[in-house]
Amino acid sequence: MIKQIYLGLGVFALQFMLIDFLSINMIRPDFLVIYIFYFSLSNSRYKGIILGFIIGLLSDLTGVGSYFGLTSLTLSITAYLTGFLNGKYERLLPYFFHSIWISILALHFLIITYVKFQILYETNFFDFLLKFIFTFGYTMMFFFVVQFFFPVKDATRAEIS
Amino acid sequence: MRNLYLFFLKYKDHFIFLFFVFCSITILLKNDNPNTHLIRGKFSDKFSIISSPFAWMRSMRQLEEETLLLREKNIQLTLKMKSMLRANEEYDSLLTLLELKEDSDLELIAANVINSGSSSNLSSITLDIGRNHGIKVSQAVLVPEGIIGKTVVVGNTSSIVQVLNDVNFRLSVRILPSGNTGILRYLKDDICEIRELQKNAQISIGDNVVTSGYSQIYPKSLPVGEVIEVLDERGSFQKVAKVRIRSNLGSLLHAFIIVSDLDKID
Repeated sequence: MIKQIYLGLGVFALQFMLIDFLSINMIRPDFLVIYIFYFSLSNSRYKGIILGFIIGLLSDLTGVGSYFGLTSLTLSITAYLTGFLNGKYERLLPYFFHSIWISILALHFLIITYVKFQILYETNFFDFLLKFIFTFGYTMMFFFVVQFFFPVKDATRAEIS
Repeated sequence: MRNLYLFFLKYKDHFIFLFFVFCSITILLKNDNPNTHLIRGKFSDKFSIISSPFAWMRSMRQLEEETLLLREKNIQLTLKMKSMLRANEEYDSLLTLLELKEDSDLELIAANVINSGSSSNLSSITLDIGRNHGIKVSQAVLVPEGIIGKTVVVGNTSSIVQVLNDVNFRLSVRILPSGNTGILRYLKDDICEIRELQKNAQISIGDNVVTSGYSQIYPKSLPVGEVIEVLDERGSFQKVAKVRIRSNLGSLLHAFIIVSDLDKID
């Protein structure tokens, strides 16, 4: 558990310090959601929710224009929903399992994009959709790299084995 | 009692989730609470210490490029200076003749951008100056290209700026030369839109957009951007103008905060 907390602090530091170097057209990757996803998948759900809330709050404390508290809300939701997949890889069809976790991450970005670009949602839905796809896609790019080294199916079985 | 305890224990995941959702929503609803501002200010100070070296590294990277540019500009400006001095003398004499008051200069404080939050979409920047430097909440922040936002949280040594592309940012603007006023809000990338424009407003593509001055935060006539599209729908009672902002919000390194008391500015 201590190791996990240190890892969490490391991910937070990575997100906080290197994010500007990875920014493309004001869209940045979200390493925190990747970490919370893996944490909640391989540990118990309630720990994931608590960690999601704390890390989300820390992320918001580093600076947001408005909607302070939104990241802690979305990360808690992500941790909660991911918890349902804990140890479920063997019981679900693989494509169904993978669709679910991708949807959970998509929901995280959908909430954030909707709140932050609600004007665009009202005025030009297509542009809003593009914004969502780019925001989601950019983080997923990093996620798939991580997934290559730490497959999701292994993470979900971590507690069973 | 024991059954109740077991019930809570059995469904602790759901209860913890509901509790933290409740906490998050409470925080969201208390964004304008002074205590929230105080906590955010304190944390902003702490985080600014951590991120300062990285901001310095970014600045150094651009320093060489800027030095070359400045040398080139220096030569150009030296040549221009002489003609400007002559023009200034002429201007002064004309002012005296017309008995006009000289425009009040805005008092600006320069600051370095030390971080831009850690959310997946940029909506704020943190500057390395705060209350100790005379900064207050709701002061205009600008770069040479124009307005970029306002201070929302002020710590002792750092300030968080709500940038123009935040969903809740609004700015009262005037379109020149027609003089029509409207409310600017962010749309996407470097595009904003101005609403509340009169239906009969004469607006053309390329018109300049400046601050209107109908605000306790932003002085009048500060540059904002230029009109790139005018939407005039039949069923609507207003016109909508799309504006391209000139400042590149994604790569800000320095900014200025207007600390003048707007009531004292003419």
